[in-house]
Amino acid sequence: MSTRTEILASGFGGQGVVRLGQILGEAAVKQGYRVSMLKSHGTEMRGGYVRSQIVLSKEPIDSPMVESPNYFVALSLAAYKAFKHLVKDGIILYDPAFVVEIDKGLACVQRPVPAKDTSVENFGRPVFANTIMLGVLSSIVGELDPDIVLESILHVIPKYHEENKRAFEIGYALLGKSADEVLHKR
Amino acid sequence: MKRYLETGNFAITEGAILAGCRFFAGYPITPATELAEAMSFRLPQVGGMYIQGEDECAALHLCIGGALGGYKAMTATSGPGFILYADPYGWAIGCEIPLVVLNSGRVGPVSGITGAPGQGEFYLTRYPTQGGNFETIVLAPNSAQEAMSVIVESFYLAERFRTPVTVLADQLITDGFEDISVPENEGEMKEMGFRTWPRKINKGPVFYPSTDEIDIPPVVLGHNTGALCSDWTPTEEGYDIEEVAAHHKHAYRLIYKVRNHKELFNNLYEKNFMDDDPELVVVSYGTPSRVVNTAVKKARQNGLKVGALRLINLWPFPDEHFKKKTKYLSVELNWDGQLVREVQRAAGKDSEVHFMGSCGDLPTVADLIETFEKILKGQPLKRRGWELEEW
Repeated sequence: MSTRTEILASGFGGQGVVRLGQILGEAAVKQGYRVSMLKSHGTEMRGGYVRSQIVLSKEPIDSPMVESPNYFVALSLAAYKAFKHLVKDGIILYDPAFVVEIDKGLACVQRPVPAKDTSVENFGRPVFANTIMLGVLSSIVGELDPDIVLESILHVIPKYHEENKRAFEIGYALLGKSADEVLHKR
Repeated sequence: MKRYLETGNFAITEGAILAGCRFFAGYPITPATELAEAMSFRLPQVGGMYIQGEDECAALHLCIGGALGGYKAMTATSGPGFILYADPYGWAIGCEIPLVVLNSGRVGPVSGITGAPGQGEFYLTRYPTQGGNFETIVLAPNSAQEAMSVIVESFYLAERFRTPVTVLADQLITDGFEDISVPENEGEMKEMGFRTWPRKINKGPVFYPSTDEIDIPPVVLGHNTGALCSDWTPTEEGYDIEEVAAHHKHAYRLIYKVRNHKELFNNLYEKNFMDDDPELVVVSYGTPSRVVNTAVKKARQNGLKVGALRLINLWPFPDEHFKKKTKYLSVELNWDGQLVREVQRAAGKDSEVHFMGSCGDLPTVADLIETFEKILKGQPLKRRGWELEEW
């Protein structure tokens, strides 16, 4: 069993890909993990994409590269297509509002997480999709303590604490039983 | 000790302040903008000063002014800004002004991509200005935490050598987040191996031509030395003189004060798995060295006799590491091959020197291991913009 956990998140600018990584990373630091998080970004106007590569480990981290993610959060079709092949025995969480077609031939577990639509349904706007996704991640990433992730969300995002709390809880419950299956498989 | 999840830019800011930096002038550029931002916030809290220049050239000139005013000063930029430092960098070398200059490399040439790492300034940091007749000190960290300690060390060296020191980082270090420990008092700084050197004030003479002495305090205007700072060849008293014999003395000093005291920084390197005479030595610096470490570890589990040499002190180039006749592989974030040329020169004719570059992204562990295998089997390598065999 590898001593490191790799999380990859990618989408386009403004979705909160970097923020998501920062919150997960901060929670992990609070839990005593060594953390590295690379962010790659171009300028949106010139066709750039955004990617966060997060590595958690109890040991010092050599390579900060995510080459075989345990968890891949795909928030755009381009990101899904670009990085799906990296996931060998990990899990892909994709938002079907953006990832409109998936590759059924992949051997890994793939779960739709309708974060954007759930945010619109509950809050009337998509801005809490990111927090919902963090709730989902907290329900399946065994290394993370959900209470500490929520604490980090509230620390990193200074506004809308009530909404973010609710969004996190909605996300945490979103996969329901299938979260246990995913956890079990890991 | 306080732990954070923060960027390299944050770590460098805190390191600089711990080292006594109280003046920052810069011009914002990704991936060093957050450093300028953090400095603008932090320096006033500790009695320091932040100035945004109208461009990079002005910013480094402002730093020279800050240093001549008695401050420990620094600036930070990326490749497209570093090139604009050419003029003030020369002034700082010639007038022997201690400064710290951070360059966070992104893929180039010119503006390239803002958020992708690069190592295209290996030679540019050696020759940051025109004219020659000088030696430069360049250090390269490979993580946010190490960037903090390298910045502290750079301020130390800048004071002792009375010269600018360049820290060559990359986008992944300054822009990326990592868990970072920040010492909160002098005891903790010592524990982390940080050493500092106070700003002392020169009482004249201003210049010390023909000597390689270090630990000569820098000029601070208004302290017995007048306002002697010029881009011309100086006399001992600091006056301009256009005379070759005087210039010989000046040039000797600028070169040999650094060359003759390399022991102060040439211990800055890391060797992993180098004890059993590896058949292949993988040479790198900056963030790629971390992927190299992982790859070398894995390759050794597969029975390959490889070792890793990571350079922190890049210039003056540490030739002493390449005396052994063996195979070397230089791993860099560029396709043209820069570090490899120095390795080739230092290693000598009997050693085999190979190159593996990547352009805009890190190499992968799998790709590295495949390259190690090919080199050890004597097979040709993939073409990556430049291959040794074709030269």
